[in-house]
Amino acid sequence: MMGLLEAAWVIARRDFLATVYSRTFVIFLMMPLLLFGVAFAAGQAGERADQEARQAQVALVVDSQTVAALQQARDALVAGTSELNFPRLSVVAPAEHPDTQAQALLADDSGAYSAVVTGTLDHPVLTGPAKIDDYIGRRMALILDEARARAALAGAHIALPPTQFRRVLTAEAAGNLHSVRHFMARSAQVIIFTITLLLATMMVTNLIEEKSNKVIEVLAASVPLDSVFFGKLVAWLGVSLLGITLWAGVLATLYLFTQVLTQWVSLPVAPAIGWPIFILLTLLYFTSNFMLLGAVFLSVGAQASNVKEIQTVSMPITMMQVMFLLLAGTTISATGGALFWTAFIFPLSSPLSMIALAVQSETLWPHLVALVWQFLWVAIFVRVAAIMFRQTVMKSGGKVSLFTAFRAKA
Amino acid sequence: MGAPAIEARGLVKSFDGKEAVRGIDIAVPEGSIYGILGPNGAGKTTTLRMLLGIIEPDSGTRTLLGHERPLEAAKIVGYLPEERGLYPAMTAKEAIAFMGALRGLPLDIGRKRGEILLRQNGLADYVDKPIKTLSKGMAQTIQLFGTIVHKPKLVVLDEPFSGLDAINQGRLESLIRDEAAAGTTIIFSTHVIHHAERLCERIAIIAGGRIRFEGLVSAARDRLRPQVRLKARNAEGGWRGALPADAREANGFWQFELPKEGIEPLLKGLMDGGAGIEELSIERPGLHDAFVAIAGEAAAREMADGVGAEFGKAA
Repeated sequence: MMGLLEAAWVIARRDFLATVYSRTFVIFLMMPLLLFGVAFAAGQAGERADQEARQAQVALVVDSQTVAALQQARDALVAGTSELNFPRLSVVAPAEHPDTQAQALLADDSGAYSAVVTGTLDHPVLTGPAKIDDYIGRRMALILDEARARAALAGAHIALPPTQFRRVLTAEAAGNLHSVRHFMARSAQVIIFTITLLLATMMVTNLIEEKSNKVIEVLAASVPLDSVFFGKLVAWLGVSLLGITLWAGVLATLYLFTQVLTQWVSLPVAPAIGWPIFILLTLLYFTSNFMLLGAVFLSVGAQASNVKEIQTVSMPITMMQVMFLLLAGTTISATGGALFWTAFIFPLSSPLSMIALAVQSETLWPHLVALVWQFLWVAIFVRVAAIMFRQTVMKSGGKVSLFTAFRAKA
Repeated sequence: MGAPAIEARGLVKSFDGKEAVRGIDIAVPEGSIYGILGPNGAGKTTTLRMLLGIIEPDSGTRTLLGHERPLEAAKIVGYLPEERGLYPAMTAKEAIAFMGALRGLPLDIGRKRGEILLRQNGLADYVDKPIKTLSKGMAQTIQLFGTIVHKPKLVVLDEPFSGLDAINQGRLESLIRDEAAAGTTIIFSTHVIHHAERLCERIAIIAGGRIRFEGLVSAARDRLRPQVRLKARNAEGGWRGALPADAREANGFWQFELPKEGIEPLLKGLMDGGAGIEELSIERPGLHDAFVAIAGEAAAREMADGVGAEFGKAA
């Protein structure tokens, strides 16, 4: 018998080269751009539309001096925050009876005013329904306060210069680090989860093609199915690592380029365990996560006979994996409890939980234990996947017990 | 006869509660060309897949080149499955080399041997052509080369002639003979009897998941008595008493099985009875006749029609 690894290497090499030289790989490389591009564009467009819809419009039915004072005050406040944080102000020429005019403006469908301000800076009147008090009322009060303060200072001939801090620099602030690492941990989990899911689906599609090509019969007659599955996992892992390397290269180049342009070169906030070990652990946890989930996909996905069926059988696994992502997410904020420990111990959530730990804790030994634990499960999952494939797809009904499943088999 | 390259005892296999193979015993001598004959659905493919370890039998034992676990002999076995399987994007040379690599042959040697095989067989123009651009017959030839590129001691071919035109069938027969001449054991399944008749020393006839005959082709033929064909000048006479009871006349010829006692007592009876022998021939039965006698008329008809999927249920 060819050695398991030798046979797996033959399969892995073929699959790797076939995939890298195919259109699938180009699509895979483009996938993050497409995903993030579409998500970003949709998010941006949606957010802008939402915010514009949410931004209220207030009619100013006041004299021109008051209009100027209010608009200056608003501009000053907006400069420190965001245009969208304050209602838009529209000037309406005052009529003979401002109160009646205000009622008419609010009743007019085409005007789309949420409130109307009449009166003066010192005696303003805000007309509108009660529900505007929390948002429009408070913000209009801020604008009026600012306008009145400016008018008072101008009346007293006082000019306040802008505040200048005396800066005392520190390397980092704990609160800031915590916040950034929280974000970093969450991002690492989501990135590993997304790439794994994407690749696992592509890998199963590839297996189905082999089933329809009848190549699987040739493979099964030549090498153990464990080698076929392991080889496929290694090949697709190689494909993903190549893709990740390319993406990382592009991102690093862009990052450095922007740093050089701004003449300020620095590394982003480091994970607690340090960049070199974090990068190594990311690769290792990605590997274990991919191989664990890939083995599950292979065992279940291989039951499908076409791509449409894959989507059906993949759906429950994907949903389960989303739950494991959420489970792993609890480890970012929590520090104990049943869910917290389950997330670390359960094989399918362990890699995602551990990568978050690497971001937030500098202790190394738990990673060594976790990796041994996870790769043990990789071996178990691959073995079970091969047995399931042999039993259900190849219709080979040899008796399987816990003992026979894991002894050396030809 | 050499030591068995393949030996199987009592192989049984069921799918979804239906027995596809019901206790197969086979012994394939090393260096022989061995045919497994039977209609479609007889259990040939299932038997071969069990012998190779692709599927596990429900019960029974088998050894492949002395190995109880067939995959342990993978490096010295070649297998052409009934349903051909190649990667469409691979070139012909790479496909051959890959199949060799699966059996432990280094890729560079596989590529060289693949190119030689292709050139030797008039396919030099297709060395670097992707499989998807080749005809079905040509792709099948490529897969066959992939089956033997690592110079196996045992080659298992499942319905190797199906899908090939007459010229390629002839080439394949030559290739099988060449491999056997080089000491390789060949076992192939077929539902076309004349391939087995031309190539095999030994055969197994499978029908309904059971072995109906296992042994030399000549022994299968010997199951039937030779057929005597006689034309006598005299229509009546005492010679008629020398004819066996089942002799029948058609178009002026008498036909019957050669009696167990042999030709001499028959000739004596005919001559003494004044038959006036005008023509007399003794024909040895063909494998087809033997198959009909062994497996039954229904199986033979299905072999001829190529529709035997239901036979296993009926048998």
